Amino acid sequence: MAEVRLSNVSKSFGTTHAVSEMDMTIAHGEFLVLLGPTGAGKTTTLRLIAGLEAPDMGDIRIDGRSVTRETPAQRDVAMVFQQYSLYPHMTVRENLAFPLRSPILRTPEEEVRRKVQQVAETLQIAHKLDNKATALSGGEMQRVSIGRALVRDPAIYLMDEPLSSLDAKLRSDLRVELKRIQAELGATLLYVTHDQIEAMTMATRIGVLDQGRLVQIGTPREIYENPVSLYVAGRLGQPRINVLPAGVFPGAPLGADRIALRPEHIRIGAGQPARVVRVEHLGDQTRLHLTLGDHALTTLADPHTPLETGDVLSIEPANALYFDATGARIV
Amino acid sequence: MTDSTLDRVARATPPRVARRIRGLSDRAIAWIFVAPTIILLLAVNIFPLIWTIYLSFTNYRANRPNAEVEWVGLRNYQRILSDPEIWQTMQATAHFLFWTLFFQVLIGFALAWLINQKFRGNNLWTTIIVLPMMLSPAVVGNFWTFLYQPQIGIFNNIISFFSGADPTSFSMIGDVRLAPWSIVIVDTWMWTPFVMLICLAGLRSIPDSIYEAAECDRASKWRQFWTITVPMVLPFLMLAVLFRGIENFKMFDLVVQLTGGGPGSTTELTSINLKREAFEKWRTGYASAYAVILFVTVFGLASIYVKALNRVKNR
Repeated sequence: MAEVRLSNVSKSFGTTHAVSEMDMTIAHGEFLVLLGPTGAGKTTTLRLIAGLEAPDMGDIRIDGRSVTRETPAQRDVAMVFQQYSLYPHMTVRENLAFPLRSPILRTPEEEVRRKVQQVAETLQIAHKLDNKATALSGGEMQRVSIGRALVRDPAIYLMDEPLSSLDAKLRSDLRVELKRIQAELGATLLYVTHDQIEAMTMATRIGVLDQGRLVQIGTPREIYENPVSLYVAGRLGQPRINVLPAGVFPGAPLGADRIALRPEHIRIGAGQPARVVRVEHLGDQTRLHLTLGDHALTTLADPHTPLETGDVLSIEPANALYFDATGARIV
Repeated sequence: MTDSTLDRVARATPPRVARRIRGLSDRAIAWIFVAPTIILLLAVNIFPLIWTIYLSFTNYRANRPNAEVEWVGLRNYQRILSDPEIWQTMQATAHFLFWTLFFQVLIGFALAWLINQKFRGNNLWTTIIVLPMMLSPAVVGNFWTFLYQPQIGIFNNIISFFSGADPTSFSMIGDVRLAPWSIVIVDTWMWTPFVMLICLAGLRSIPDSIYEAAECDRASKWRQFWTITVPMVLPFLMLAVLFRGIENFKMFDLVVQLTGGGPGSTTELTSINLKREAFEKWRTGYASAYAVILFVTVFGLASIYVKALNRVKNR
C-alpha cells in the first residue's frame, strides 16, 4: 500500500476541462471518496491515477515515485470499473485468477488457488467459481469485479462507482463489507461515487469535485458541518439543505446573500411563523414540509409529532450557514 | 364501459371473413401462414434432392429422355469411389480448400487487427480492401488471366522484380505445379476482405473497457492478444471459415474462367468435374450419385464444424 499524490494535474477533452489543476494527496491506508455529480471529473481523476489517461500537465506520484509516464501495469494499481468489465469468455475462477497470473507477479499456482478461494468466500461467490462470468446476476458480476481487484496487493485500489448498479440491500451489505476489507488490509483506496450515503459511511476523507476542480477535501463530518461553499453544502445531507435569502431570518452577517439550514438546524417553538404543507412519517423520524412566506423548506420532527397539514408553527435557525452572492461561505 | 382492443378488432373485421376465420383452430391458422414457404421449399429444395437420390441409383441420361431407365443399385457409387480421376479432383479441392482458408484467415485477421487500430483514414482503407469481393467472380477470373500473362502480366513482373527471375520463364496458369497455387492466390485476393470484415465485427464487439481492465490487471499486450482478443474473436473467425469453406467447396465460376480446370485436370475441382459429368458427358445417374456423395461430405463436415462452433461460443 502506498501514498498517492497529485500535483497540479489537468486534463481536457477538446474544449471540456475534465480535471483542472488538481492537488490532492491520498494518504497511506486511507479510504478517500471523490464525490460529485456526473461530469465533475471523478472518473477522469481515477483514470489519470490508473494510467488509462495521460494528464495534459501536472505530476502523479505513487509512494514518492513519479508515475506520470508509466503504464497501468507499471503503476501497480487495481481498478474496479462501473460496468464490471469482466472477461466474458472466462469463468469466475479464471477472472479472479487473471491478475495473479500476470508474468510480472509470477504467483505460484497453489497460491493463486488459495487467494481466489479466499476472496470468493469473502465476497460470497465461492459457489459460483465455475460459472461463466456472463452467467451471473448484476450483483454477482460486480462482486467478481471487486474480487479481481482484491486478489492482488496493489499500491492503490481504484473503484469507479462499483455499487451503483446494485439493489439497495446488496449495496448496503457491500458498503459495510468493503469498508471492513479495506480496514483489515490497511489498503489505500480511492472510491468514486455520486452517492452521499456511500461517501459518508465509508470515507476516511471526502473530496468534493465541481467541474473538474477539487473544491473541498476533509473528513465527512468536516464537509457536512463546515462546507466552504453552497455547492459543497448541497452535496451532503438528506433531506437536502434548505437555502433561503439571508434576510428571511434576522441576524445575518454583513455580505450574506443566502442562509442555508440543514433540516436538523431548524428549531421549532420560536421565531418566524411557518405553515405545515405536508407531514411524512418515516418511522424513525418525521419530515415536515413547511412554507415560510414564499419559501419552501424541510425540517425534522419527533416521530410521534401531532402536527398536521395546515398547522402553523414558529421556527428559527440554529447553527445556520451563511453564503455570499458567489456561493462562498461567510464564517 | 371502455372498449378492449379485442372488441375493436372484432368490430373492424368484416363479418364474412370473421365467420370464416372463427371456424379455424390456431394450429390451422398457423399452417396457413407457413404453408407457402413450405410448399416453395419442397418444390425447389426437397423434391430435387429426393429426385437426385433416386436418379443416383439409375443409369438415366438427361440427353436421352426416352431411353429406358434401368435401376443399377449402388453401381454408380462404387464406380465413383474407385475412380482415381475423381480422387484426384477431390485432392485438388482439398488443396484449394485448405490453402485458401489458411491464407484468408491469416491475412484477413491480420488486416482486421490493423484496421481496428485507431488511425486516420481507416474507413477509407476498409472500403479499398473490400473492393475485390464486390466484383463478379467471372470478371475476376478473366482479368487475372491477364495479370498472370508471362509476357505482359503484372503478377509475373512483380515476382521477377523481387526474385530476379525472368517473367516469361514461368506461367502461373500453364504450369502443372503452379496452377493449383494460381487459383489459391486469386481466391485469397478476392475473399480475404470477407474474412476481414467478419473478424473486424468480432474485434469491434470487444469493449475497450475489457482491455483497460486487463491493463490494470498487468497483462502485457501479448497476453491481452492471446487471452482476450483471440478467444473473443474465435467464434467470428470460425463462422467466417464455415462460410468460406462451404463456398469454396462448390467453387466453380472463378476457376472455370481462370484455368478451366487445366492444365490437364490439375485445377479441376469437384464442382467442375461434376458439371462435366452431368452436362457434357450427360451421365445424369452417375453425376447424381457424385452429387449425393459431395452433399453428404459437406453436410457431415459442416455439422461437425457447427457443433464445434457452438462449443466455442458457449465456453
